[in-house]
Amino acid sequence: MNLALVDPFVLAQDCPEALTETLRNGHATCIRFNHNGDLLASGRLSGTIVIFDIETNGVACKLRGHTKQVQSLSWSSNDRFLLSASQDWKCILWDLQDGTKVRTIRFEAPVFMAELHPKNHLRFVAALFEDQPMIVSLEGGAPVKVSLSSMPKRSQAMKDNLTEKQAAQDAKNTATVALFTPDGSHVISGTNKGWLNIIDPETYQTLYSNRVTQAVIILVRLTASGRDMVVNSSDRIIRTFQLPDLGSPSLDWDSLHLEVEHKFQDLVNRLSWNHVTFSSTGEYVTASTWMNHDIYVWERSLGSLVKILEGPKEELTVVEWHPYRPFVAAVGLDSGSVYLWSILAPQRWSALAPDFVEVEENVDYVEKEDEFDIQPIEEIHKRRLDGEDEDVDVLTVEDAGTRFTGHVARIALVSGEEEFKMPVFLDVDNADSEDEIVAIGTGQFRKKSPGTGKEWMNESETRAGSTGVASGDERAVNGNGRTDRKRSRKG
Amino acid sequence: MAPRTRRARGARQESPEEVASPEAPPTALETAELPDRTQDGIETVENEKDEGNQKEAGPESSESPTRSDNDQVAGQHRSPSPKPGHSPIYTTHPQSSSPPERSPLRSSPSPSQQLRAQSSSRTPRKSRSRSPVHLEPHAEPQFQSPERPKRLHYRHVADLPPSSHPFSTVKISPSGRLLAAGSSNGSIFIHNASTLALEHVLEGHLAGVSVIAWSSDGNILASGSDDKSIRLWNTVTGKPFRVPLVGHDNYVVSVAWTPKGNILVSGSFDEAVFLWDVRGRRIMKSLPAHSDPVYGVDVARDGTLICSCSSDGLIRIWDTATGQCLRTLVHEDNASVTSARFSPNGKFVLAWTLDSSIRLWDYGERRRCLKTYQGHKNEKFSLTGSFGVYGSRPPDAAKSPAEMNGYSDNEKGQKIDGEGVSRSRYIHPFAFIVSGSEDGSIFFWDVGSKEVLQCLDGHSGPVLGVDAHPTEPMVVSCGMDGRVKIWRDDGASESSNAGSGAENDVHMEDATDGVDQEIKLES
Repeated sequence: MNLALVDPFVLAQDCPEALTETLRNGHATCIRFNHNGDLLASGRLSGTIVIFDIETNGVACKLRGHTKQVQSLSWSSNDRFLLSASQDWKCILWDLQDGTKVRTIRFEAPVFMAELHPKNHLRFVAALFEDQPMIVSLEGGAPVKVSLSSMPKRSQAMKDNLTEKQAAQDAKNTATVALFTPDGSHVISGTNKGWLNIIDPETYQTLYSNRVTQAVIILVRLTASGRDMVVNSSDRIIRTFQLPDLGSPSLDWDSLHLEVEHKFQDLVNRLSWNHVTFSSTGEYVTASTWMNHDIYVWERSLGSLVKILEGPKEELTVVEWHPYRPFVAAVGLDSGSVYLWSILAPQRWSALAPDFVEVEENVDYVEKEDEFDIQPIEEIHKRRLDGEDEDVDVLTVEDAGTRFTGHVARIALVSGEEEFKMPVFLDVDNADSEDEIVAIGTGQFRKKSPGTGKEWMNESETRAGSTGVASGDERAVNGNGRTDRKRSRKG
Repeated sequence: MAPRTRRARGARQESPEEVASPEAPPTALETAELPDRTQDGIETVENEKDEGNQKEAGPESSESPTRSDNDQVAGQHRSPSPKPGHSPIYTTHPQSSSPPERSPLRSSPSPSQQLRAQSSSRTPRKSRSRSPVHLEPHAEPQFQSPERPKRLHYRHVADLPPSSHPFSTVKISPSGRLLAAGSSNGSIFIHNASTLALEHVLEGHLAGVSVIAWSSDGNILASGSDDKSIRLWNTVTGKPFRVPLVGHDNYVVSVAWTPKGNILVSGSFDEAVFLWDVRGRRIMKSLPAHSDPVYGVDVARDGTLICSCSSDGLIRIWDTATGQCLRTLVHEDNASVTSARFSPNGKFVLAWTLDSSIRLWDYGERRRCLKTYQGHKNEKFSLTGSFGVYGSRPPDAAKSPAEMNGYSDNEKGQKIDGEGVSRSRYIHPFAFIVSGSEDGSIFFWDVGSKEVLQCLDGHSGPVLGVDAHPTEPMVVSCGMDGRVKIWRDDGASESSNAGSGAENDVHMEDATDGVDQEIKLES
C-alpha cells in the first residue's frame, strides 16, 4: 500500500547497498527467512532457535529443544511450521502457533540439513553425516524413514565398463545435501564425490545423475521457480545451472544434460566459499567467503561481480537473501551476530512540507491568473464544497499485495492451507542470553545462577516428543520479569 | 405517520418491479450504473406524484450543474428535534434539490453560519416534511445498483453503568465480541458487546485514559494515558502485561496497532510519534512528526503506512518500515487536526478538525480533500469516530416482506471481501461516517454524498468517542457526561413508531436476547 508513495528510484533498486542493522541473541550459526519475509529464524550454537521479527528487529519467539548446534532450518510454505536439524542427531518440527514441538525425529547420525516438502509439512528430506539421504514421513504415528541411494545412476553400458575401483567409489558416495524442488516433485541431492542426483520421492529411484565436480558438494540452492540451481563445492567454484521443468511428464531423463551456466570463482586468491544463495528473483548470486569479511554479489545474466557488501569485521558464514526485498542477512562466524544489508532510503524533505517539490534545476514560477485575487471567504468555502463531487469508495480493498511479492514469494502457498499469522508473544524471555549478569532491581545486579534458563533440558525426551507441550510452558516459567528491564536499557 | 415515512414505504413497494427490470444485473455494479440512474429517476417521479409534491425534479434529476449545490444543502438540511423524549430518529432530507428561494442558506458555508443554518432548520418534523423537497436521484456517479437507503434508523437501546468521570474513548474489538471504554479516572471497562455484562475492569493507570486500541486478534488492548505511559492488557484475563511502555515525555493521546500486532504506534503531547516493538517493549523508531501535540495516529490496513495528525494542522503519512515521511496533507485553513484514521480500504484518510469539519483526504497522487462533512460541532475537543457500513439487508435479515421481495434477486453474488468492516451482511454496502459532536449528538454521514443520514441525541455533553460494530448495525458512544450508550439499527420498519417514548421495549425483535435482558435491567 505504501508503494504508490515511495520514491520509484528506491523501489527500482534490487541489490542491497549498506549494512543497516545487526541482530544479536546468542551465537547464531544458521539463518533462514520465512516465505512471507517478515521473520528470520536463527539457530544458535547452543541449540536454541531464535526467531527474529525483521520489522521490529526484535525476538519474536524462542524454541528450545536441541542440545547442540543447529545445522539447518526450513519453513513450511505457510510459515506455520519450522523444521530444524541439529548436530544432536535430531530434527524437530515446530508449530509456531504456540511454539510447541509437533514431532521430534531421531537419527543415527548428526544431521547436515533437512528440508521440508513444500506442500506437505509432515514430509521432509534429510542429509545425514556420512550416510544416505532420507525421506521422512510423519503422517502416521511413528516417523517413516526411507533411505535414498547416493549411488550415481549409470546406464547399462557404463555399468558394464565400470572398473572395480569405480564401482567401489560409487558405493562410497554419501549425501551432503538433499532438498526438494519447489514443486515437491523431486529431490535433489549432492554427494561427497561431486555427484548431483535427482531422485523421485515417490518411487525413491534416482532419475538422473551428473558429476558436476570432482570435489565435495557443499550446498545446493534453488530459486523459488525451481528452474535455477546454484552449487557450491569444495573446489572453490560456484556453479549455476538452469534446470528444465522437472515436473513436466515429457522430460526425458536419459537425454537430460545439465550445462554449467556460470562458474564464479576468485582466480587471484583462490578463496573458497562458505555459503551461497540466490537473490529473490534468481538474478543475483551471493556468497560469503572463507577468511574474508565481505559478501560477493554476482549478476547472472553476464556472470559479472556487481557488488561487494562490506561492514562486519569478521568472517561470515551463512548468507540469506530476503524472499522479495533487496535485503541480505549473514551470520558472523566469531560473534554469531546476524548482519543485515539493505537499501538506505534517503529522507524526502519535500514530503514534510506539502507545498514543496524537489527540483533538479531552477523552474520559473508562473503565476496563475487568479492566484492573488481576494475572494470573499464564503465564496471560497462554497467553491471548495462544490468541488467535492467526486465518487469515493472507502470500502473496496484492492489486492495490491501481490504486486510486490509477485511470482516469487507466494508461489509455494498451497491451496487448502490457510495463511498463517504468527501470534505475538509478549513474554519472550531473555533469561538465556549469553550475558552472565542479570539485573534484579534498579542498579542491582547479580551473577546468573547456573542452570537458569536451561530448565528445558531437564524435561524428558519422551514428553517433549510425544505430548508436544514444550516451550510454551517454559516461556511462562522462565519469564520472571527481571531481564526485560535490562533489554530495554540496552536498546 | 409522517409523509416522509410513507414515501419510503412507497419506494419499497415498488422495488419488486425495479429489481425485475432486466437492466440491473446484480453483480456488475459499474455497468448497472447508467440504467439504474434512469430507473431511479422514474421511480422518484412516481414517488413525487404520490406525495403530491410534483416538482421539476424529474427533468432536473440528471443534470449535473445542480448536483454540487444539492450536496451542500444536504449537509445543512437536517432536522434533529431538540426535545428529549421525542423520536430519536432524526432523518435528513437527503440530496434535496433546493428550490431557488433557499439560496441564502446555500451560500452560508462558514462554520458559524453553518451552525446558524443548522439551528434554523431545526423545525418541527411535520412542517419540515411539508417543505418542497424530494428524493432527488441526481447524477451522483455512484454505484446505485441497489438503491442506497436515504437514512439510518439507529435507536438507543442501552446504557452502560454511568460514571461520574467522563469517558474519553470507547472501542469495539475487531471481532465485535467485546467493547472497552476508557475513563478519565484511569480505569478501562471491558464489557461483552452483546450482553453488555462487565467482564473486566482494567486498573493501573495513574491518570486518565485518553485512548485505547484493540490489537487485530482482540487479545491485547493498548491504552494511552495522561500518566505518560502506555499499558498493554490481556483482555482474556484482564491482567496488564508486566511492564508498561514508558518513553513519552507527556500525555499519550493516541495509539494504534499494526495488523500483525508486533508494532504499536503512539502519539503524544511531547510532539513525537513512537513506533514500539511490542515484544521487547522498546522504542523502535521515533518519527520527528510534528511541532504540536500529536492527537491522532492510525495504521493502514496492510500495516505499511502510518498517519499522524497534530494541532499544527498537518496530517502526515509515514512509511512504517523506513520511518520516512511520504506525504503531508494540510488544509488551507490550517485548523488543528484532532483525530485521523484511514478508511477501511486504506486509500483515504479521514481527519477531524477543530473547525467543525471532518475531511476525507486522498493522500495519493491528488493529495487533496475529497469530502467535507459538516453539521456537527467540534471546536474544542478531540472527537473520534468511525467508518461503518449500511445498505439493504439480505432477505434473511430483512424484516418486512416488501424488503424481502424487493431484494430477493440480489441476495447472491456480491460478497465483497474486506477487512475492518465486514460487509457480507449487506447486499451492497455503503459506507457511513459516524462521529460525535460537542452539542451532545451523534452524526452519521454518507461517505459519497456527504448527506447526514441520521442525527442522534442522547448525551448531555460532548460526545467524545463513537465506534461502529464491525459486523452488526450497532454503534457505541461515550461522552463527557460519563455515559456510554449503545445504539442499534433494527431496520426501517420500526421508524414509524419510533416517536414514542417507550420504544426501548417495543422494538427489540432484532436485537439479541442479551440486549433485551440488559434493557429490562435498565428500566
